[in-house]
Amino acid sequence: MWEFIDERKAQIAFSAYQHVSLVLQAVLVATVIAVVLAVVVTRFRPLEPVANAVSAMGLTIPSFALLGLLVPLVGIGVASAFVAVTFYATLPILRNAVVGLQGVDARLVESAHGMGMNTLATLTRVRLPLAWPVILAGIRVSTQMSMGIAAIAAYVLGPGLGQLIYTGLAQIGGANALNSALVGTLGVVILALAIDALLLLLGRLTISKGIRA
Amino acid sequence: MSRTDTTRPVAVPAGDAPRSADTETAPRRSRWAVSGESRILLLVLPVVVALVFGAWAWWRATADLDSIEARQLAWGLILDLIWQHVKLTLVATFFVLLVAIPLGIALTRPRFKRAAPLAVGIANAGQAAPAIGLIVLLAMLLGFTFGTAVLALTLYAVLPVLRNTITGLQGIDPTLVEAGRGIGMSGAGVLFRVELPLAVPVIMTGVRTALVLLVGTATLATFVNAGGLGTLIVTGITLFRYPVLVSGALLVALLALLVDWAGRVLERVARPKGI
Repeated sequence: MWEFIDERKAQIAFSAYQHVSLVLQAVLVATVIAVVLAVVVTRFRPLEPVANAVSAMGLTIPSFALLGLLVPLVGIGVASAFVAVTFYATLPILRNAVVGLQGVDARLVESAHGMGMNTLATLTRVRLPLAWPVILAGIRVSTQMSMGIAAIAAYVLGPGLGQLIYTGLAQIGGANALNSALVGTLGVVILALAIDALLLLLGRLTISKGIRA
Repeated sequence: MSRTDTTRPVAVPAGDAPRSADTETAPRRSRWAVSGESRILLLVLPVVVALVFGAWAWWRATADLDSIEARQLAWGLILDLIWQHVKLTLVATFFVLLVAIPLGIALTRPRFKRAAPLAVGIANAGQAAPAIGLIVLLAMLLGFTFGTAVLALTLYAVLPVLRNTITGLQGIDPTLVEAGRGIGMSGAGVLFRVELPLAVPVIMTGVRTALVLLVGTATLATFVNAGGLGTLIVTGITLFRYPVLVSGALLVALLALLVDWAGRVLERVARPKGI
């Protein structure tokens, strides 16, 4: 296996980079979408069960099925992979953002208003910082999940380490089939754990001092 | 409870349908008194599934398919694939329950209590493995068979049931256990007549999560020659026939939603009367 890695160092590193890049970009977009939706949902309370139900139903749909539905719409390639990963990444963050924003003590919001903050300032300086730990937990869940979905998305020619797994599968019986699948799988595991650790660190750095556990 | 649990980050199933709020417990009212979200899912979901399936069946009956498409979408073949998919899901669920519940019980007994965080940690980290990698690697080692697919699926879905069994058992008021012992029940008696019944709602939520995870991951079984509805998706992509591809994707999605719904109904039916 070491020989296999050594011979293809550049290619594996590139796949790993693309995998992480796809996931991080998708999660970033998902976070923005989810937080915006959550702000809307918490503003119009009756929407909340609907949002949660949609989130639960969305997560029920198998990723391979969603890819199948996306291919006719956006074509084979990176676009399908990106849309699918973003879709799944949005749902856990949305759920957590709604819970987090609702968990903010109404009295704190009222005091912020009392101090003269407008709605936007209250949102960015009081509600979001207080909800951030919960949102970040959602982001961690999303990122872990996205790493695996990105691997599956390689089947529709998405970028990343999943390609190594499918190459191994296609070359079954060949000398390097097992190595290829193994490197692809372990690569995803290692990267997933590393990114999770980084997000934990991000939490340390960005969670407001006053509410740090 | 659901609120605090949602905030707890969990490493998740890399392949499919994870839950950030795995261990939510329903409100303690009557069995059928449900919150807004559950009501939508319990009542609207089957209607949506039925409507979409009806629309698909109508399309299938009237569409003008070429010979390749017609062969791939023959009713007999589709029923076979659905049955294979359901069989994969159910057999794997059986093994998941067989492994996860006894293990969860063992890990909450005083003797092994200290190993519980370690076991859940290992299971969490293992969940970071991509489903597709796990299933392909196992097939390379053990052969491209139904058994391999079931093994991979089982490994993949043990975590939610294990975690919820442990959470459910740990969440029980210790005074109730003590009361059980106090009226002369044996350790096993307390386990089977007090602890497990009280933990059923939480365990069942884990079982539903596992079921949904399994239906989704079973789409990948086609890569190891174990059949299932994923076959239609792969055939559709390989032959570049969108009707086949979309039919496969749609049927898997509907099956997953239906299984989720069945799980929700089961959750309510299985809940013991007192809680």
